[in-house]
Amino acid sequence: MFERRLYYHIDWPLIIAIIALCSLGVLMIYSTTFDPTRGTARMYATQLYAIVIGMGALVFMLSIDYRTFTDKSHLIYIGVCALLLYVMFFGMVQMGARRWIPLRVFNLQPSEFAKIAVALVLAKFYGENRGAPSWTDLAIGGALTAVPLLLIAKEPDLGTAVTLMPVFLAVAYLAGMRMRILGLMFLCLLLAAPVAWKFALKDYQKSRVSTFLDPSQDAKGAGYQQIQARITVGSGGLSGKGFRQGTQGQLRFLPVAHNDFIFSVLAEEQGFAGVLVALGLYLFVILRALEAARLAKDRLGSYLVLGVLASFTFQVVYNITMSAGLAPVKGLTLPLMSYGGSSMIATLAGFGLILNVRMRRFTN
Amino acid sequence: MTIERRGIGMRLSILQYVITVIFSILAVSFWVLQVVEHAQFEEMAENNHQRTLALRAPRGIVFDREGKVLVENRHSYSISIVREHTKDLNRTIRLLAGVLGMDEPGVRTIVERHRREPTYRPITIVQDATLAQVSAVKARRLDFELPDVVVEEVPTRQYPETMAAHAFGYVGEVNDAQVAAGEEGLKSGDIVGQSGIEKVYNAMLMGEDGAKRVVVNSVGREIRTLEEDPPTEGKRLQLTIDYDLQKAVEDAFDATEAAGLTNAGAAIVLDPNTGGILAFASRPAYDPNAFAAGIDRATWASLNIDEDRPLNDRAIQGRYSPGSTFKMAVALAGLEEGIITPDFHAHCAGAATFYGRPFKCWKKGGHGSIDLRHAIEQSCDVYFYTVANMVGVDKINKWATALGLGVKSGIDLPNENQGLVPSTEWKMRVRHEKWYAGETISVGIGQGQVSVTPVSMAVYMATLANGGTRVTPHLLKAVDDGTGWKPVPAPAPQSKVEINPEKLQAIRDGLWMVVNSGGTGATARIAGKDVSGKTGSAQVISNAGRAAARTSKDLRDNGWFVFFAPRDHPTVAGVVFLEHGIHGPNAARVAHHILDTFFAKQDGRPLPPPPTKESLRFDFSDAMAKKQSPPVEPTER
Repeated sequence: MFERRLYYHIDWPLIIAIIALCSLGVLMIYSTTFDPTRGTARMYATQLYAIVIGMGALVFMLSIDYRTFTDKSHLIYIGVCALLLYVMFFGMVQMGARRWIPLRVFNLQPSEFAKIAVALVLAKFYGENRGAPSWTDLAIGGALTAVPLLLIAKEPDLGTAVTLMPVFLAVAYLAGMRMRILGLMFLCLLLAAPVAWKFALKDYQKSRVSTFLDPSQDAKGAGYQQIQARITVGSGGLSGKGFRQGTQGQLRFLPVAHNDFIFSVLAEEQGFAGVLVALGLYLFVILRALEAARLAKDRLGSYLVLGVLASFTFQVVYNITMSAGLAPVKGLTLPLMSYGGSSMIATLAGFGLILNVRMRRFTN
Repeated sequence: MTIERRGIGMRLSILQYVITVIFSILAVSFWVLQVVEHAQFEEMAENNHQRTLALRAPRGIVFDREGKVLVENRHSYSISIVREHTKDLNRTIRLLAGVLGMDEPGVRTIVERHRREPTYRPITIVQDATLAQVSAVKARRLDFELPDVVVEEVPTRQYPETMAAHAFGYVGEVNDAQVAAGEEGLKSGDIVGQSGIEKVYNAMLMGEDGAKRVVVNSVGREIRTLEEDPPTEGKRLQLTIDYDLQKAVEDAFDATEAAGLTNAGAAIVLDPNTGGILAFASRPAYDPNAFAAGIDRATWASLNIDEDRPLNDRAIQGRYSPGSTFKMAVALAGLEEGIITPDFHAHCAGAATFYGRPFKCWKKGGHGSIDLRHAIEQSCDVYFYTVANMVGVDKINKWATALGLGVKSGIDLPNENQGLVPSTEWKMRVRHEKWYAGETISVGIGQGQVSVTPVSMAVYMATLANGGTRVTPHLLKAVDDGTGWKPVPAPAPQSKVEINPEKLQAIRDGLWMVVNSGGTGATARIAGKDVSGKTGSAQVISNAGRAAARTSKDLRDNGWFVFFAPRDHPTVAGVVFLEHGIHGPNAARVAHHILDTFFAKQDGRPLPPPPTKESLRFDFSDAMAKKQSPPVEPTER
């Protein structure tokens, strides 16, 4: 199954860049959660375990031909949906949301794995069809995306739910969806916004959006995080305040610094130089993955790579924008760097699939 | 490669460009934030996490003449609101009031009073908080419930023993008027002296507050100190007060109160040669400690409405009729003006008639023919009616003033009042009436218009003791600004007058006889110390109108005892005044304990034990008062 020559086609530069980003994340988690009064917090260690498990998942996803996964994608998809349903009824509640299945070692967050499942099932669906997707194809693809999306949105975890949309859009786009339809979709979204504002969004979500438009109107409340994020990043300067020398993250002016705002802490402590390095690494990872899509042996491979990459890219861009205080604050983590086991394992598993496609570009 | 594959390739290329552009925009955004606008954000970050805290300077410690601590500082905690970090002031007030066990409107009033001040300046809600209050607030802070409340450790004034309250005074938060007056750069919240030497020497005692720049986290907890400018302690003062003598005075007053005689009075003991005050008391007193950490409204109100007026400094503000203690001034006027000699005799038949009206002597049967020395010893009223009539009111005024009566003493305490020794000029100026010669008669025995403050009586005795120098009574002896003690020279005398030593000696002989040969001051006698003094019993003039009320206590006479000792080369002089003390001999008993302590200390003997209510053996009979005839008001016709 795992031929020796395949080993030579593994994309080592991509793996190295991924490990570099993971390491950067661990360092920042260590920096923000280190508390001299209580000894070192264990969060960075937990993150290291997650990376090790994630690397295992990466190897696993790499070692079996991706076509085996896509062949079984309907089963994986149904399995993930079942887990999401399970969460809805029996999941663990934390911070007002029911998102986790408590396991002995860590809490599993099925929504993170939904991204891979959707990417697999969409890749298979559109990979079997030839030619530009018809309206029916788009409707079926949309429905396949919508089911887990709604289940996750119900938890509620709107941030993660939204990351499923780029998966569908990207795969459909690559499958040859007309630009006109894409434009139409954006128009619909734009028109739906006021309706959603009125009926779908919760109050805290509304306040996040309205504060984004004018953070100073609520400087101590919802706008606080946004202003603090901007101060955090801006005060970092060119070369940063130094490892564990940041005041904004260290003194907790910036909330959840080890999680949603980890990039702000990087910007504060390592400065613009550190930001450039991290941005460069992310850009390299994304472009390198796009290269894998280009090199893929078949359309199925290209679709799969792009499906996995779409949610990753969306999350990276949104989180970094948010951590500079340039987007509304939303509970979206930064893949590869933010603290979080499920996210890390799912992301690395996803990259296992991308490496898989590239590695098997010459096989039959 | 199929057409389809080319389509995919093209679409992937578009994605590559889009991604690259997005990342470039991100990089530029970060460049703008971190490099272009860096300075602004850096300042905001610093404002976020750095705070400047005031470090209160302890006030200077006050010592007695031998280096014993009289006033010091202790650590206390104050709880304040810093509105800079307040999200919801009403919520903070409500929560804090609950945590502190205070009523909410009270806390709100305090906050309102400081509303216009800069928000970074803490508004002190509780000074000298109890440990329970401090721990309650600290627990809430850890829960992030009261991030805008700070607990500060501040030095607070402490008066180890509640003695000489009116001399030491008290401290309190500077009031708006004082801030507005811009005294020495006072700022709101400063603790300043409000009375006594705390007020007079405030500039020396205050010291300079320091500052500390600290790093705080998002809930305001101090993480570390960046820089510290330590406070400068106020200058240390040494007073002329002698702790042991002061204690003796306080003990004697305590016993007087315990005996049920009176709780009101004053005593001043000083060095007649310099004016340095050895002991200073006004009763009833207050506890200056109650003011040190911010007096509560109830205590303040009770001090103000108390009928005994404990805040009143009777020693320098109270004006009382001197009674017989005034007789030495009349005698000196007669002698120095050459109108009488010590051998001048008058005949006392128990009463005498002047200007057609009878004036009684306190001794019904009369003293018979009597000279100056014995007239002082026996306190013969008729003798001094006669002398006063011969000398005239203006000469009495001249000599009484030279001895320190009817003028301010110049003591280094605030709000001293001035007594009154009448004169023809005074009556014309104030009453627009001519002086009637008949009015002079009662002036001769210290009644009528004459009024004196206890401190002026101390100066009066000092002047008689030192031979004519009207020394300025004072409390400050030396100052230490951190470089060692520097003695403060005694203030210059207020005036000096030449007195013929032989004539003066006649008065001194009389005073010696009062105490040592069976006179009215025999209770003050100390073997071998030649205590010289004079008792006085004076009607409570101010209460004359209330005679109908029949409240026996208020109508009892005031008792005086003025003294110096020893008769030749005196080293101590002073006054004991007992409000409603019935008569002078009772005051002399109090003075006895004071003088006994003074000489015991001087001779190195063990100090006498504090008097008890029995050991003072007060005389509660009003016999003396009855014997002493009330002078007929000259203005009544």
